[in-house]
Amino acid sequence: MASQNMDPAAAAASNTAALKGSESSGSAARSSVSKRLQQELMTLMMSGDKGISAFPESDNLFKWVGTIDGAQGTVYEGLRYRLSLDFPAGYPYQAPRVKFVTPCFHPNVDEQGFICLDILKDKWSALYDVRSILLSIQSLLGEPNNESPLNTAAAELWEDQEAFKTHLHSTFQK
Amino acid sequence: MAAPVNIQTPSKTWELSLYELHRSPQEAIMDGTEVAVSPRSLHSELMCPICLDMLKNTMTTKECLHRFCSDCIVTALRSGNKECPTCRKKLVSRRSLRRDSNFDALISKIYPSRDEYEAHQRRVLDRLNRLHNKEALSSSIEEGLRQQARYRNHRVKKPTQESDNTTFSGGEDNGDTRSHLSHDSAPSQTPHPCGQTPSEAGPSRKRPRVSDDGSGPEADSGSPTPPLRHHKEGPASEIELVFRPHPQLVHGQDYNQTRYVKTTANATVDHLSKYLALRIALEDRRTNSETEDRAKEEGGGAEDRGAEGGSGGESGRAAGSGEGSSLSNISEKQYTIYIMTRGGQFSTLNGSLTLELVNEKYWKVRKPLELYYAPTKDQQQPQQKSPLPAPHPPPPPPPQREG
Repeated sequence: MASQNMDPAAAAASNTAALKGSESSGSAARSSVSKRLQQELMTLMMSGDKGISAFPESDNLFKWVGTIDGAQGTVYEGLRYRLSLDFPAGYPYQAPRVKFVTPCFHPNVDEQGFICLDILKDKWSALYDVRSILLSIQSLLGEPNNESPLNTAAAELWEDQEAFKTHLHSTFQK
Repeated sequence: MAAPVNIQTPSKTWELSLYELHRSPQEAIMDGTEVAVSPRSLHSELMCPICLDMLKNTMTTKECLHRFCSDCIVTALRSGNKECPTCRKKLVSRRSLRRDSNFDALISKIYPSRDEYEAHQRRVLDRLNRLHNKEALSSSIEEGLRQQARYRNHRVKKPTQESDNTTFSGGEDNGDTRSHLSHDSAPSQTPHPCGQTPSEAGPSRKRPRVSDDGSGPEADSGSPTPPLRHHKEGPASEIELVFRPHPQLVHGQDYNQTRYVKTTANATVDHLSKYLALRIALEDRRTNSETEDRAKEEGGGAEDRGAEGGSGGESGRAAGSGEGSSLSNISEKQYTIYIMTRGGQFSTLNGSLTLELVNEKYWKVRKPLELYYAPTKDQQQPQQKSPLPAPHPPPPPPPQREG
């Protein structure tokens, strides 16, 4: 529909360009990524992990929405966070981009929701999957790395767990 | 105590983990006891942890003994840390891996038809998608229909297949959800998609010779020239290719030149072969009977499909041409087309493959397809297992448009 008002010659040119692109290595790689993501989706749904869930956002298998429940016994208990997972074409050889959608007050999460976690950066391995990422983030919530905080205020407040919890729950917004 | 000088320090130090130091060896079962293994644990044993699929061309890390598909671990090492994806043990390069053919054999013993296993798995995944993702409903129905069609094809073809191994990787390759373009036609065009790695490619190598006798099981065994397949879609895409004489099989200066061809992607290897035969015959005539202008005129209009027309017109005028260059004898059987596979070996291409499929299965990189040709030998088997890689070509000039 969007192409209705386009110059037909330009439209044809862009069509063939798209066709050529999809015919070379791109399409094969993409389908193997889809296959792996489908497998992950299936195992996730079969496993029935408590406290984490994830599902493709729409019919685009390369963008998922995940949820993490704060683990029992931590200050995050009772809070549920939504995250977005964005899979690159090089997945699983490259890490997905993972972000908090729900604002998260945490020493290793910044205001935009970016997460500082080594396994999402240089410690990524092709063996990690959505499930292990979400479980890692869940445990990061309860055990922050206060050595290199993204949110210094949160890092400083962490020492005082009661004050942290009060602040966390009073500022929590879905 | 100083160590004796003449004894070299062992180059290899074994770093055993606590587990390895303390475990007691497992007794091999020799008395015929049967051990039941649940499908799930079996699957996790046979699965590649990277693609989550069944292991294919298994590679094992030499030190930590973790298994991966060859493609998966090679890509992982190339694109990431030089460590074992499973345990982070240092892996310097491919040399830290070894081929695990025993494991491949084990898998093909347990799953003789990998094709069916994968079809089943796809169906499960599809059903899952349909159930849980309403927005993907239409696309998965479409996908499902295509898979069913493909599965039907496989079942129909079953009796004529020579070995299950041949279908393994072929079926896998067809599983790629690439553009719809060739999907519906691909399985019928290629009874044995030749996506195998060199080690598996045995049956497909001999194929061109089989069809030489006219007794091959191929679809094209009856007609000397395979009919052009028409895709349902509009204009077929074009494909560029570089065409060289086989470095081991073609000697001397006979037609020893690199050719650049641009043609439609649905042309087959046979089309190409016949076109080549015509070109070479024309060039022979040019040198033999010095009718340069006439040959050039014919050659300019020649293309793969115009071959028959060209030969008809020529044979009328053909007078004192050499025996090998009679244009009415042009056939796609005169030359065999090869492609260099990853291991540097030359593999014969089945005549009924379309260039598009060849490109998909063997080439996969974004530069013109490179093919090799040599005269078909009727008596002796062409020596395809030559270990020498082809000399690297000079940068190709812009392809000349022949079609």
